[in-house]
Amino acid sequence: MTGSERQRIRAAGLARGAGRNRRETWIGVALFVCASISVLTTVAVIAVLASETVAFFGDPAVTFREFFTSREWTPLFAESQRHFGIAPLVSGTLMVTFIALVVGLPLGLGSAIFLSEFAGSGTRRRIVPVLEVLAGIPTVVLGYFALLFVTPLLQPLIPGLRLFNPLSAGIVMGFMILPTVSSISIDSMQAVPRSLREAAYGLGATKFEVVTKVVVPAALSGIMASFILAMSRAIGETMIVTLAAGQRPNLTFDLRETIATMTSFIVQAATGDQPAGSLASRSLFAVGAALFTMTLILNVISQQVVRRFGEKYE
Amino acid sequence: MSEAATETGVPDVGANNLLDARERARLAARRRRGAVFRWLTLVPVLLAIALITTLFADIAIGSISWQVIEANNSGQDFAWSEGFRPLGTWQRVVGLELVAQGMSEADIDAFFGDSETVRKFRARNRVELMWSVNGRPLRWLVTSSRDDGVDDLGLFEGWRQRSELLASLEADQLLVLNPWFDVAFLGKNASRTPVMSGLMSALLGSLWVIVLVIVISLPIGVGTAIYLEEYAPDNTVTRFLELNLRNLAGVPSIVYGILGLAVFVRLMNLGPVILAAAMTLSLLILPVVVIASREAIRAVPDSLRQASYGLGATRWQTIGRVVLPNAVGGIVTGIILSVARAIGETAPLLLVGAAAFVPRLPESPLSPYTVIPIQIFSWISENDVEFPHVASAGILVLLVVLLVLYSVAFYVRRRFERTW
Repeated sequence: MTGSERQRIRAAGLARGAGRNRRETWIGVALFVCASISVLTTVAVIAVLASETVAFFGDPAVTFREFFTSREWTPLFAESQRHFGIAPLVSGTLMVTFIALVVGLPLGLGSAIFLSEFAGSGTRRRIVPVLEVLAGIPTVVLGYFALLFVTPLLQPLIPGLRLFNPLSAGIVMGFMILPTVSSISIDSMQAVPRSLREAAYGLGATKFEVVTKVVVPAALSGIMASFILAMSRAIGETMIVTLAAGQRPNLTFDLRETIATMTSFIVQAATGDQPAGSLASRSLFAVGAALFTMTLILNVISQQVVRRFGEKYE
Repeated sequence: MSEAATETGVPDVGANNLLDARERARLAARRRRGAVFRWLTLVPVLLAIALITTLFADIAIGSISWQVIEANNSGQDFAWSEGFRPLGTWQRVVGLELVAQGMSEADIDAFFGDSETVRKFRARNRVELMWSVNGRPLRWLVTSSRDDGVDDLGLFEGWRQRSELLASLEADQLLVLNPWFDVAFLGKNASRTPVMSGLMSALLGSLWVIVLVIVISLPIGVGTAIYLEEYAPDNTVTRFLELNLRNLAGVPSIVYGILGLAVFVRLMNLGPVILAAAMTLSLLILPVVVIASREAIRAVPDSLRQASYGLGATRWQTIGRVVLPNAVGGIVTGIILSVARAIGETAPLLLVGAAAFVPRLPESPLSPYTVIPIQIFSWISENDVEFPHVASAGILVLLVVLLVLYSVAFYVRRRFERTW
């Protein structure tokens, strides 16, 4: 092999290396672009909600004062009868969420305690996927079930229960959030170290006392986080309430009455063919902004709870 | 003494009998409380399982109904096997019906040759699969169409009243058990008449949307995961990206619908088309795809990467030939589970304009569309005693699709499961 040949080969190798390096750089850039799409999504969500909400409040027909104090929400009505008080939608959302939490939290925590502390690992492996089914069933199916099975079932028991009511929607939603509560709670209870339990047993505690006085308090941050996350799920859930709770904004705390929630109003306004830029269409975005803010705050709180109060073992 | 020790499980020190008895009673009470508590925690698990069972049973039962139908045509019915051909089912049955009405072979050929005659016949008559109560089970039936005055009874209610119903039948009436979920249901297009309604356009719409969702979200999601796991330096930008993804995962799906409505449908002026729906759902499932892919990539041990670098491979070569092939099981599982979620999503698509009634089948990403859950939603919302049965049949299809997807995900996870 002559010197010039060797040089040529080295030059070719270097060129290939340079080409490879260039390619590497481009790939790095392309991957960063992929990663930034999620940031773009957030920016777009906030920009869309903010601009339309500002336009909503910029309309002379709407005032901040009315938005927060009026007891009526009728933005889809004719101009003379329009009212823009978000209170009925918030009350509807809170009512359904409250029922869902009353049903879902004890059920979720109870099943988590059973599966984590009392059931064997074999039973746990078999039952947990079954509970996950509840989260995997499309919510339109759960809405169908609430409207066409639960409501007819409850109507003979509860006089005055409307066809559309927050009660059956909330009950079914409680089962929907059950896996959210149970899976996170199971994880945090499993993370409680064996040494803590052994110490409690050593002091003469019964299984029940170990669970309620050691394991659950030690896992409390995870359990609280799961509760808050479940609440955020319930507030943002749409199809169950749209189908089973109704679409009539109604400032009431009667569980038998037809109501509307923030999410069901959004669906109602969107499916009614409101022209873009109209006040009715903008009201949809304003409600969306309120919904987004509420769920975001809850999600951030749930992350903070885990970070602040989460006990680190080992 | 020794008896007491075995009863309470506490070593008996045998010092003070009186105190011992009181202590033993207290311990027994503590034990009892524990046992009760244990059973109490079992209740939620049983309740959840009961609810799932009830839900599936309710949907299965809801998809079958007893009906009294007018058969003032010839009301012929044909055994299932006679009419059942994978293709051309109704032509076969209509042919048999025409023979029964006394038409000759030539007349029948002429009948099928004239599309206008066929169209009129189909508009006036229905060909459907039913359990004929009077004859053998599961038969094709050709009846004149009926839009009103149909007696429709649930499975159990109809069974209870069966003898009365049979006794009160008029001359040209038939009592049939109508399984709304049958082969024809998948092939029929949407309709304003319950018995004519089918899932064809929704099935195709869902298929289009899902294929596009995979095409869009797979590269972006996996790319993001690779960036965060293999490229990203540990700095503020990266931490912000991670925080952002976590928060996006918690945003309600309807907010993605609002985003899709404002950006894809209006700003980009796509209108209510398949592409807008697919992009909206892609953004919706992106955080889940990223999280699942990151876990899969993280599970690949560093020693493999080091070995690859040691052989002189570049970062991308290492990722493409070592990391990704070893992470493929987790990534595919994550994608399938995300797709399963996207298939069942209803709320965001209501906002980006999935229509309740799509007369034509979707042909391109820019066609108007409907999807299975939207179709189910519109059937539930219809004010008609028969539409809930159609909705049940649609739900059965949706649940079967999801079941298949979950099984595939389960299989993939098993197949590619590796311990290092």
